[in-house]
Amino acid sequence: MAAGEFRLRVCYAKAGRARFLSHLEVMRALERSARRAALPYAVTKGFSPRMKAAFGPALPVGTAGEREYFDVWLTQPVPAPEALERLGSATPPDLRVAEARYVHEKGPSLTAAATVARYEVAVGGEGVTAELIEKALVTVVGEGRLEVEHKGKIKVFDLARSLPEEARVRSCGPPVILEVTTRMGQEGSLRPDVLLTEALSRVPCDGAVVSVTRTDILIEEEGVLRRPL
Amino acid sequence: MGPELWQRVETLLACVERPVRYIDSEWGARRVTDTEHRSVLLYPDTYEVGQANQGLAILYDRLNSTEGLSAERAYIPWVDMAARMRAAEVPLFSLESCSPVAGFDLFGITLPYELTYTNVLEALDLAGIPLNAADRSEGHPLVVGGGPCAYNPEPVARFFDAILIGEGEDAVVDIARAHLEAKRSGASRDEVLERFAGLPGVYVPQFYRSAAGGGVEPVGTAPSLVTKRALGDLGEHRPPVCPVVPYMDVVHDRFTVEVLRGCTRGCRFCQAGMVYRPVRERTADDIIRDVMEGLRCTGHDEVSLTSLSTTDHSQLEEVLRRLTSRLEGTGVTISLPSLRVDAFSVSMARLASGGRKSGLTFAPEAGTQRLRDVINKNVSEDDLIETVSRAFAAGWRRVKLYFMIGLPTETDEDIVGIGDLVTRVQRAARGAAPASDRGSVRISVSVSTFVPKAHTPFQWEGQVPVEDIFRRQEVLRSAMPRKGIDLSWHDAEVSFLEGVIARGGREVSEAIEHAWRAGARFDAWSERFDLATWREAFVSAGLDADAIASQSYERDERLPWRHISSGVSERYLWLERERAVAGVTTVDCSFDGCTGCDACGTLGVDIVLGGESRGRR
Repeated sequence: MAAGEFRLRVCYAKAGRARFLSHLEVMRALERSARRAALPYAVTKGFSPRMKAAFGPALPVGTAGEREYFDVWLTQPVPAPEALERLGSATPPDLRVAEARYVHEKGPSLTAAATVARYEVAVGGEGVTAELIEKALVTVVGEGRLEVEHKGKIKVFDLARSLPEEARVRSCGPPVILEVTTRMGQEGSLRPDVLLTEALSRVPCDGAVVSVTRTDILIEEEGVLRRPL
Repeated sequence: MGPELWQRVETLLACVERPVRYIDSEWGARRVTDTEHRSVLLYPDTYEVGQANQGLAILYDRLNSTEGLSAERAYIPWVDMAARMRAAEVPLFSLESCSPVAGFDLFGITLPYELTYTNVLEALDLAGIPLNAADRSEGHPLVVGGGPCAYNPEPVARFFDAILIGEGEDAVVDIARAHLEAKRSGASRDEVLERFAGLPGVYVPQFYRSAAGGGVEPVGTAPSLVTKRALGDLGEHRPPVCPVVPYMDVVHDRFTVEVLRGCTRGCRFCQAGMVYRPVRERTADDIIRDVMEGLRCTGHDEVSLTSLSTTDHSQLEEVLRRLTSRLEGTGVTISLPSLRVDAFSVSMARLASGGRKSGLTFAPEAGTQRLRDVINKNVSEDDLIETVSRAFAAGWRRVKLYFMIGLPTETDEDIVGIGDLVTRVQRAARGAAPASDRGSVRISVSVSTFVPKAHTPFQWEGQVPVEDIFRRQEVLRSAMPRKGIDLSWHDAEVSFLEGVIARGGREVSEAIEHAWRAGARFDAWSERFDLATWREAFVSAGLDADAIASQSYERDERLPWRHISSGVSERYLWLERERAVAGVTTVDCSFDGCTGCDACGTLGVDIVLGGESRGRR
C-alpha cells in the first residue's frame, strides 16, 4: 500500500429497486458516487489506472442487503462524517450510504475478514407455518450434510460448519420471516434460499422462498461475531 | 397509475434476464412527470443498446428543461419480458413514472437503423396503440419519429403521425409546444397534424399519397419538399451534462460531448457526411467546460469526444492538452472515435491515451487508389503505411482496418487490392515494432457490404446482389495474408435486408408488418436475425426484395425519398456521382473552398470553425 493512503470503510444498503442489480453494477454505481462526491480517491498503478476500492462479498441479482460494505482508499484524510455526507448526496437513494469510518490500512480485505452473513428470509405458500418450517430445518440439519448442484457441479456443505447459529423465526406471518445465519468463504457460501428450499422439500407443503435480504455481514474473531464497522 | 403498474411490473422481474433493464431509478433520471404536456421517448431496441443514444439524451434534456413539458424513457423489453408482459396484460410502460405509453400526449420514436423497424411495431403493439396512424383516435398519443433513418421515411411512414427530419434541439420543443397549444384550444387530432405540417422539418405522412411516377406527392397544402432542421450554432445548446447514468453495463457507457456536427470530407458512400452538413464546431472553451461539468455530474471514468470526424476539429490539440492536464491522476480516460489516416491523428491518439494503447481504428474503405478516388476517400496508400508505422513505433500493437465491398465500379482487382494493402500494412507494422514485440502485432480487418443510401451521390445505384457479395468475399479471403490477420465480415444478408428497406418506398411497410407478425424482432441481433422470415414477408406483401435492393434509377426518376431534403441539392449529388464515375476527387469545403452542395444556403446555416462563422456562400 502506498504511503499516505487512508482506507475509508463505507456501509451502504442495496435496497428497493437496486436489489435487481448485479454485484458488478453495484460496484460501478458506488465508484461513480465516489467520483461525483469528489472524494480524493487513490488510483491504482499501471497502464489502466482505476479507483482503488474493494467491495465485500457479492449479493445475487434480486437479493437486497441492509448493511453492505466497501473500502475506498483516499490520498487525503477527509473527515469521515464529511466524506459520508458528500457520498450521501451523490448516491441514488436505493444504494444509500449509512456509515463511514477509517479502518486500519493494513487490515485484511472485506471478503477475507467477513465470513458470516445473516439473512432475513420470507417463506410463503399454502399450508406454511412457523412450526412446519422449524421442523423442516431440524430434519435437514439433522442430515448433517447438504448436496447442492450449482452450474452442473455438486457442492457439499457440512451444515454444522455452515450454520454457526440456529435459524430463528422472527414473525409467524404469513409470510413466515426467519433469521438465517450462514458461513461464507472459500469453502463455499451456503445460500439461505437454497437451504430453505431443500428444507421445505422434506415436509408436505407448497412453501417457497418469497424474498431474501442480507441484514448483516459479520467478522468472526475468537468465536465472537462483530460488524465490520 | 404509476405505483400500481410498477407493482405488476415488479412481479415479472424475478424470472427475466437482466431485470436492471426495467427498474429506472438511475442517477440523473428526471422526475418531473406531471406536466401539462407529457412525452415518452423510445429507442427501438433494448435498454443497453439505446441508453447511451445521444440524440434521445438531447431531446430528453430539452423537453425536461422546458416549462410545461416533460419526457420519460422507454425501451423494447427483451423477448422473455415481452412474453411475460403480454401474459400478464402489462402494457409497454415508461421508466420514470411507470405509466402506460398509450397514456402520453406524444410518443417519440427514434429511427437509428433499418433493422429496428420490427421493434417499432412491437412497441406500438405492446403499448396498445394501432399500428396504422390512420386507425388511431383522439385518445391515442401522437406517434412522432425522427433520427438518422428519417431521411427515407417511407418504409415506416404509415406507422407514424409525424416524422421530424433533421436536428431536434429546437424542433422537439416546437413540436411539443404546438401540440400543447392545440390541446389547450381543443383542436382535433387532424388539426394538430395540420399545424405540425406547417412546422419546418416536420413531415406528416398522411398528407401525402403515392405519385404516378414513383415516390409520393402532397395532398392539399402540405409542402412538396420537407427540408431538414439544422442548428445555426451548436453553442446555443450545451450537450446534456447531467444525463442519466446507467447501472447496467450499456453500449457506449461513458460521458459524451459532441465536439462538432457534420463532416464535409465528402466520402460519396457516406450518408451521415451528406445529411449532417454543414460542419459546426463547439469552441475549445465550451468543450472543456462541458467535459469537466459532465464528469462531475455523472461520475463517469471515461469521456468520449464524439463527432463524425473528431480529428478534424480545428482546436483538437488544444482541447486534448488542456483536458489531459486537468484529468491527470484521476484515472479518467479520454476516447476518440475512429481516426483520420494521418500522422496528426496518431499524435492526437497518443495525447488522449495517456500511455494506455488499446488499439487504433482506421477506415481506408477500399483497396485501390482508383476505387478510393471513386468514393472520394482521400487517403493514399502511403498515408496509411506511414500512419500505421508511426502508430506501431509509438507503442501500439493493434490496429483495426475497415473496408467495404460492393462499392460502385468495384472489380475483383479492387478486392484483391484490399489483400495487398493489408499485406503491406502488416509488413510495415512488424517493421516498426521492436523485434522482441513482433509477435504481439495484431491487425484486424473488418469488411462490410456497401448499402447505397438515400441522399448520397450513390443513391441512384442498385445494391450488388447478395450472391455476388458472397463470391467477392471468397475473392477477398484468398487475397488476404495467411497469418496474423483477424478477418471479420458484416453478415451480407443483413446488409441486403438493410438495402431493401433503406432503398424502398411506402410499399415496404407491408413487408415490415408481415415480418413482425411472423415473429421478427431484434433483427439487428445476429442470433435473432432470420432472412427466411423476411423473404416470406416480402412474398406475402407481393414485393420482390431483390428487385428493390438492386434497382438502379435514372437521373430524372422520382426516388422514393425525393420529397425529403437534407439541404444538399440533388443537382450536387448527381454532379458528385458523375465525378465518381470519372474518378475525380472533391475537396473538403470546410478547409478548401465551397464545392457548391447548396446546404448552407438552403438551410440558412454557416460553417462554424473555432467559434467563427465562415460567410455563407
